[in-house]
Amino acid sequence: MKAIGTIALGATVLLSATAAQAGFGDTLKTVKERGALSCSGHNGTYLGMAEVDDKGNWKGFDIDMCRAVASAIFGTPEGHLKIQSTSWEQRWPSLQSGELDLVIKSSGWTMSRDTDTALQFSRPYIMAAISYATHAENNAQSIKDIDGGTLCVQSGTTLERYATDHAASNGYELEVVPFDSTEAAKAAFLSGRCDAYVEWDLQIAVMRATEVENPESIAILPDVLSAEPVAIVMRQGDDQWIDVANWVGSILIQADEAGVTSANVDEMKANPPTPAIATMLGVTPGVGKRLDLSDDWAYNVIKNVGNYNEIWERNLGEGSAYKLARGVNGLIRNGGIMYSLTMD
Amino acid sequence: MSVDTLSPLPGRKQSLLSRLFSRPLDVVISVTVLLFAASVLWQLSKWAIIDAVWTSPDATSEVCRGVSGACWAVIDVRWRLIVFGLFPYEEQWRSSLACIVMVIVAILSCVPMFWTAIRLSALWIVGFSIFYALMAGGVLGLTPIAPDKWGGLTLTVFIYAAGMLIGMPMAIALALMRRATLPVIARTTGIIIDSVRSLPLITILFTAALVLPFVLPEWLLGDKIWRVILGFALFFAAYEAENIRSGIQALPSGQEEAARALGLTYWQRTSRIILPQALRNALPPTINQFVISFKETSLIVIIGFFDVMASGKAAYGSGEWSFAWVEVYVFVALIYFIFVFSLSRYGAYLERRLRVGQH
Repeated sequence: MKAIGTIALGATVLLSATAAQAGFGDTLKTVKERGALSCSGHNGTYLGMAEVDDKGNWKGFDIDMCRAVASAIFGTPEGHLKIQSTSWEQRWPSLQSGELDLVIKSSGWTMSRDTDTALQFSRPYIMAAISYATHAENNAQSIKDIDGGTLCVQSGTTLERYATDHAASNGYELEVVPFDSTEAAKAAFLSGRCDAYVEWDLQIAVMRATEVENPESIAILPDVLSAEPVAIVMRQGDDQWIDVANWVGSILIQADEAGVTSANVDEMKANPPTPAIATMLGVTPGVGKRLDLSDDWAYNVIKNVGNYNEIWERNLGEGSAYKLARGVNGLIRNGGIMYSLTMD
Repeated sequence: MSVDTLSPLPGRKQSLLSRLFSRPLDVVISVTVLLFAASVLWQLSKWAIIDAVWTSPDATSEVCRGVSGACWAVIDVRWRLIVFGLFPYEEQWRSSLACIVMVIVAILSCVPMFWTAIRLSALWIVGFSIFYALMAGGVLGLTPIAPDKWGGLTLTVFIYAAGMLIGMPMAIALALMRRATLPVIARTTGIIIDSVRSLPLITILFTAALVLPFVLPEWLLGDKIWRVILGFALFFAAYEAENIRSGIQALPSGQEEAARALGLTYWQRTSRIILPQALRNALPPTINQFVISFKETSLIVIIGFFDVMASGKAAYGSGEWSFAWVEVYVFVALIYFIFVFSLSRYGAYLERRLRVGQH
């Protein structure tokens, strides 16, 4: 698998150097001409982010982001969204070759991708918060409550470094029990060998929901050791396309802040309570033209997909099997880091 | 007690008993092994059958909570996903019909009545066209469904059947060209075959699916699925061509010389004398190649196709069912087994029928 990844990366770097860069506005034009947005799915499943339901329909957080962009462009994702099943290895070549318009596949914003691979990123739509899991019987409110306890971790990973750095700067100690693979570290933690385990909080939530007899026996602690930005990935060069991706992402959070949901958006559009909401939903014209979209693009996004909180709760939160709290992905006013851009 | 020597059954029983229980040590070993086998079988059937949960009335995994046996309910709820992949739910009858058509074609090609080159190719081309029309739609009022929606077992069968259908004639052509009298053709073909064989299938598929779009003009590209099928067929053909060549070279040279002396043209010699015998000689390795190729279709998952392995992963890949991966993999393995085992048995039948190895 690693060899394939290397081949894929080699091909991408090689080809991205020669491939013509996307020009300003090209991608949106191509998408409109095709009549459908081509977005990344999965070749199998990535729990919470891309899954397939009993009837063979895609669902998940990444998929909802694809649906949001398709709604903004076409008014509805129905018939205008092609979810291409995509493997991890193939996502950059498929994006560079134009098979995909967007990669929304839990992909982190890294320097090599941004520069060498000639990709560009939207603002992060999720921060992958690195957190501690512990056994609920420890009754810990924060990691300091298990000061001096043991931590199961794969040795030599960034996760281990995050944990030791966090411990050093916050004045607590953990005895690191090193393992040579994530699976071994996880199994040891679940068997009770360690008091704590460190991972992306979504992965902990998935583990809790799928590998533990009683999900309530595992708690995710609120301490955030670090967070890796997960963003929408595009071909380098089309600044207009970044604008579309950024503003679709922003509108989901803005609607969350303003309390606009898929349930009340019609009412809000008919009688906008504030001028800001009137602008946002396209009651006051002009907001669409700047992005080369229709004036009601934001209305269509909220109507079809819902706001950020609805997407979260449906796929990762209380409405899902994973029961993951928003934590660092909460709105700024709730102690998170999610904020919308200013729509004027 | 007299033993009826005419009926083979008691004799076999007798010899089995004398082999397994003649000396005390034999008795100990036999009993231990039998007990071990029985306990494995018992554990397995306890897991797979006795303690298993078969259905889920409310389509959730609640029924499997605290059950020690297999949770076959996951297959009950998610089998459509495994078999049809992402094919639209309302249209899945088309996908199953298409699969049935393919199976019927495969069964019909076992009937000796169809065993002429023309009938056999006609059967496969007609069967394949029906399959394609059902899947793709756009004719007879069927809604068009793009290949990126195809998936599951049907996609595996499609890629395999198409790959073999294109690969087999390609293999024959390559084998003949490698034996051509013109050195240019023979050497070039040799280089092509050896280059393709020296590359891993995965790189060929990766190149066909993802690299070609960078180098070929758009009008030459076609759909991704066809590029992959062509890559798959080429890989199969390179190996199969060598099988066929071995079949040709096993023929006594007098065969071709006699045909030439009778004044037969190249095509008459090839199609009536050489190939029928060569293909018969090459039957065992050919069946081998067909079996390997069926299993190799699972590689397309790397380039983003939703084949039966990927749809299996998706079937257990939900918060609801992720504990039931063993059951799903057993089910997928069973599907592979049924296909590959029937293929092998069909090969064995052909060998008996054509008396391969008996001159």
